[in-house]
Amino acid sequence: MTRNKIGIFLSLLLAIGLCSCHGSTDRSNTKLIINEVLIENQGNYQDDYGLHSGWIEIFNKSYSSADLAGCYLKVSSTPGDTVSYFIPKGDILTSIKPRQHALFWADGTPRHGTFHTNFVLSKDKENWIGLFDSGRKLLDQVVVPAGILQANQSYARISDASSEWEVKDDSAEKYVTPSTNNKTIDSNPKMDKFEQHDPVGIGMAISAMSVVFVGLILLYICFRLIGKLSVKLRKQNAMKAHNITDKQEAKEKKLGEAPGEVIAAITMALHEARGADHDVEETILTISRVKRSYSPWSSKIYTLRETPNRK
Amino acid sequence: MGEFFSFLQNNLADFWSYTGFYNASPGHIAMLVIGIVFIYLAIAKEFEPMLLIPIGFGILIGNIPFNMEAGLKVGIYEEGSVLNILYQGVTSGWYPPLIFLGIGAMTDFSALISNPKLMLIGAAAQFGIFGAYMIALALGFDPMQAAAIGIIGGADGPTAIFLSSKLAPNLMGAIAVSAYSYMALVPVIQPPIMRLLTTKKERLIRMKAPRAVSHTEKVIFPIVGLLLTTFLVPSGLPLLGMLFFGNLLKESGVTRRLAETARGPLIDTITILLGVTVGASTQASEFITWDSIKIFILGALSFVIATTSGVIFVKLFNLVLKKEDKINPLIGNSGVSAVPDSARISQIVGLEYDPTNYLLMHAMGPNVAGVIGSAVAAGILLGFLI
Repeated sequence: MTRNKIGIFLSLLLAIGLCSCHGSTDRSNTKLIINEVLIENQGNYQDDYGLHSGWIEIFNKSYSSADLAGCYLKVSSTPGDTVSYFIPKGDILTSIKPRQHALFWADGTPRHGTFHTNFVLSKDKENWIGLFDSGRKLLDQVVVPAGILQANQSYARISDASSEWEVKDDSAEKYVTPSTNNKTIDSNPKMDKFEQHDPVGIGMAISAMSVVFVGLILLYICFRLIGKLSVKLRKQNAMKAHNITDKQEAKEKKLGEAPGEVIAAITMALHEARGADHDVEETILTISRVKRSYSPWSSKIYTLRETPNRK
Repeated sequence: MGEFFSFLQNNLADFWSYTGFYNASPGHIAMLVIGIVFIYLAIAKEFEPMLLIPIGFGILIGNIPFNMEAGLKVGIYEEGSVLNILYQGVTSGWYPPLIFLGIGAMTDFSALISNPKLMLIGAAAQFGIFGAYMIALALGFDPMQAAAIGIIGGADGPTAIFLSSKLAPNLMGAIAVSAYSYMALVPVIQPPIMRLLTTKKERLIRMKAPRAVSHTEKVIFPIVGLLLTTFLVPSGLPLLGMLFFGNLLKESGVTRRLAETARGPLIDTITILLGVTVGASTQASEFITWDSIKIFILGALSFVIATTSGVIFVKLFNLVLKKEDKINPLIGNSGVSAVPDSARISQIVGLEYDPTNYLLMHAMGPNVAGVIGSAVAAGILLGFLI
């Protein structure tokens, strides 16, 4: 019976695990992704030289820094004709802080600095842009279809790191966002959701308490099974030690069920036996006041404070 | 000569403008009085002295008036000051998990392992958190602030500091002080509620002696506990991870030195730093407000709700339990994770009605389950709101 219960419990855990794993297989572990691309820059963001050029924005979607040094940006607008830009090492600015952006100018003038590539983006043709790590493993890629972007419009993820792309045309809802979040975060959506749907807090209380109970019920089931298994093993060991094979006999003799008093008596006997090894010597007993440093953290006994009394 | 005296006079006047006497405001004085009251309560009344002395003295340190515009780099909120560097442990939230490491290394989970159904009492007592959350919302706090205030009901100082530093940093001082104050007042708050909600017959219930727990079970507990709870609530990982890690150090039997360090010097060091910096972070402008008063009221209510729900849950649970498995409802209060104070209250109140009925070991089960429960609850609140 116990085996069946253990089997059911483990199967349930495995099923939950497999179900949850299934959802995560599609997720990429890449920290760096291409986030926004602007091809024809006539009056948009300008570089340090005051020039308007197309640009590619890279986003570090993780919560740790990521370094672009040694990575490659590749562009192709004609099949078989790929231009590759090696992002130089030794520039501390290539290290992108968590959830931050880096902007590369597609101006074909790498002598202007680390963030100026050796290619320009094609205004008339489809642009394939790929980001590769130093081992030339593809981190992210995007295809900007031909003809969908007008001047000063960008092709961008709807919000940072989202999987869907859209054309940003600088309208009030869809604005071009070089080196900043694709969607300005001016609120806390989770909190707003609670404020809107659960102003009293009952929803939070029910859902959170359910999770607390589920967590501790899982622990309860688990340790109930482990406990039963442990008791069973103890009985089996006791039967082996007494050379008893009949379970009924073992039950009658209460094998493996030593009460606390018996354990305490055995422990005391062992203690005395060990103490007896020591020679009896002449001793002088000095009674002095014991002074111990007060330390509730390191001793359970000391933590048991007295009930506060009015002094 | 006159010019020299004028120079001396200007110099002294300049010095005077830097002194605490010149810069003191009524807010500073009020905070200093509060700090002294805390120290008095800790020494004279022995209310949580390990925490109220560092916090009380921290309040004194943090509220010494000085010229804020002088760039002395002495204030806790001035970047690069010593206090500011020590305060990083609170703002970045790494002191509380280290405290949990020590708590794990000193906690014996045997009572819980031998009678795992006691875990459910630890879960039930977390109603205090969400009861206070609902009342805080009704009082006009936003959901993040309400959650940070509600966690006071978990009766767990490090958890309260951890959560409030993430959800409502401006209320952290009041929340921490409130949490520790009510933990000190557990012997005053809980017994009347326990007596009110139980009958004499219930108080005399004798519980079955817990079975002996094997070493293997004790070793398995932190590993399985970590996996189950953090798979469910990954946002509770810092607290739960450290709690179970500390417990494994204790129970493995082969890392005695590490366990000794975690439950001794390490936790003492972090307690000192945590207490002083939390105390120093309580500035009059943030602390002496109506919000703080509301937080103190909500803190008291959360303890009352937590105790009530724990006791009532045991009474309801007893309806479905066999006669020999019945639980004494006097251990319901110990789901409030003020370890081991609330378990001790179960013992004291139980002995009042039956001098031979020792409830301490039974009460330790829900008590340590409450620690796990409040850490899980904190993780859930973080997950829901951030």
